[in-house]
Amino acid sequence: MAIRSLVSVVDDDESVRESLPDLLREFGFAAEAFSSAEAFLASACVGNTRCLVLDIAMPGMSGPDLQRELTLRRQAIPIVFITAHADETVRPRMLEQGAVECLIKPFSDTALLAALNAALRVN
Amino acid sequence: MENDLSRLVDTLPGLVWSALPDGRVDFLNQRWREYTGLGADEALGHGWLAAIHPEDLPVLLERWRGILAGGEQREMQARLQRFDGEYRLFLFRACPLTDASGQVVKWCGMNTDIEDHTRAREALHAKRAEALLAGEKRMLAETRRLSSTGGFSKRISTGEITWSEEVYRMFEFDPAVPVTLEQIVTRIHPEDVASFDEMVKLQLSGNDYEHEYRLLMPDQSVKYLHVVAHARRDQDDQLEYIAAVQDVTQRRLSEEALGRARSELAHVARVTSLGALTASIAHEVNQPLSGIITNASTCLRMLAADPPNVDGARETARRTIRDGNRASDVITRLRALFAKKDTATECVDLNEAAREVIALSRSELQRNRVIARTELAEDLPSVIGDRIQLQQVILNLLLNASDAMSGVEDRPRQLVIRTEQDEDDHVRVTVQDSGIGLQPQTMDRLFDAFYTTKSGGMGIGLSVSRSIIESHHGRLWATPNDGPGAAFSFSIARGSRETVDVTGVHRIGMIRTTAVVDAHHVMRNL
Repeated sequence: MAIRSLVSVVDDDESVRESLPDLLREFGFAAEAFSSAEAFLASACVGNTRCLVLDIAMPGMSGPDLQRELTLRRQAIPIVFITAHADETVRPRMLEQGAVECLIKPFSDTALLAALNAALRVN
Repeated sequence: MENDLSRLVDTLPGLVWSALPDGRVDFLNQRWREYTGLGADEALGHGWLAAIHPEDLPVLLERWRGILAGGEQREMQARLQRFDGEYRLFLFRACPLTDASGQVVKWCGMNTDIEDHTRAREALHAKRAEALLAGEKRMLAETRRLSSTGGFSKRISTGEITWSEEVYRMFEFDPAVPVTLEQIVTRIHPEDVASFDEMVKLQLSGNDYEHEYRLLMPDQSVKYLHVVAHARRDQDDQLEYIAAVQDVTQRRLSEEALGRARSELAHVARVTSLGALTASIAHEVNQPLSGIITNASTCLRMLAADPPNVDGARETARRTIRDGNRASDVITRLRALFAKKDTATECVDLNEAAREVIALSRSELQRNRVIARTELAEDLPSVIGDRIQLQQVILNLLLNASDAMSGVEDRPRQLVIRTEQDEDDHVRVTVQDSGIGLQPQTMDRLFDAFYTTKSGGMGIGLSVSRSIIESHHGRLWATPNDGPGAAFSFSIARGSRETVDVTGVHRIGMIRTTAVVDAHHVMRNL
């Protein structure tokens, strides 16, 4: 049996942490959820995460903060940002800064799957 | 020598006389005799008293007896009849002539005509008094004109009304025609007629009163009059009112304009803070919507699997419902925040009010990476007031605190919302930040309208907040922290309903203003 690619979810919103991993597993990925950037960095998953689904606005370290930290640590994990702040300027800015995709909540399962496939192709 | 002395005495400019120690006159000079027309034989002894004005006689006699008894006061005034019958006022002066042992052997005296002098002085006094009175009258008239004040009196028994010129001018009635109550009523603004009638009834009680009413002039313009009336009894013991009437139209119009401006400012402030709030609300609703869609997608996929994962589908469906409820809660909170109440004053639990505001602005705070902490006192007494207005103040302080920390990178952006019981039965709410703090030179301008330290601010939030708190008879103030940042607090009494004056209107009579913030308008802006 092929090893499933690990997709890690970092979001302070509990319903996202509950629902997204199940959907990711339905897609055929392995999934882990973290409530903060700090918790993710402290975990053992940093090294084997194939794709990061990352919330932008979080208390403490934000999504982009984590992105910068990973770059500093030379951990090139493709990132799909998710955000509930419907601001037109967010997506272009995130793409410019190296994100694979930026999804505005609420997003469809197909949009997420397309973004993940794109991220894994980068790998 | 004897002759020379006699001529001298007759030439002196006065009526010269001498008397024995017992008071009997034994000499009167020629001038005396010529003036009175009395012969020496008639006037000597006590005969001179016949020339004294009968009204002055008792006082003069008493004084003369006093002098003879050794009294110090040796002057007196009395009218003395001239030969032609005219009385003129004289100053009588007496001096004792004593022997070697100090015994009085004779009284010498001279009477001086002071009639003209006295008349002139009295005339001068009268003239001065008249000038003073005229000056005061002019000043009073000028003051009345300047302050648009008139006066009236009214005899209650007869209903007779007397107006000053100014009142005629205010009512625009002909000053030549005595005014009647019926005539006055034709000028009273229809909405104020009832309270005017009440005032007229009140006059029967004989109490002092103040009243304010409007006039509707023939050209449809409106005047505001303020009356202060004092009741008194006239000389026939009849009840009478003396009153001052002031035209306060300008003042009232300015106040109404001010009230309107204030409510417009409050509205703008609310819409401004709504801009920030809308993003927060969108976030709050989008989160559960995101959960709903993800869970529903997962659910469909689980059911489509072979075999279907029914347990997983049930769990995701359950989560879908929970997230749906969560979205619904946001809307409920929102509606509670902006719901229009019939009455503007109600019991407000400031803990609950603060929690609602925090819940709605949570993501706005989060976006600014602000860590909000609450320290809400247990058993906090309720206050009476306008919940929406008070929440607007809390929201304003919260967003200000968040803005004040937007440039802070070297320390946590901490925000504390604290409620506590204050002294004197007050409840205090404090919003404390760790932001840029307050500059001492800006402290006294913080609450001024249109003063701002923020690049995107209008500078009305704090001034409106303060006017809201002041209309709740409370206090809003700022305190610099010991460390970085500042705290804004307000304190209002856990008062009874009577103590609240939410619209800021405190009037007598029929004057009303509208300063109600339109909650429907706010909802449209969401």
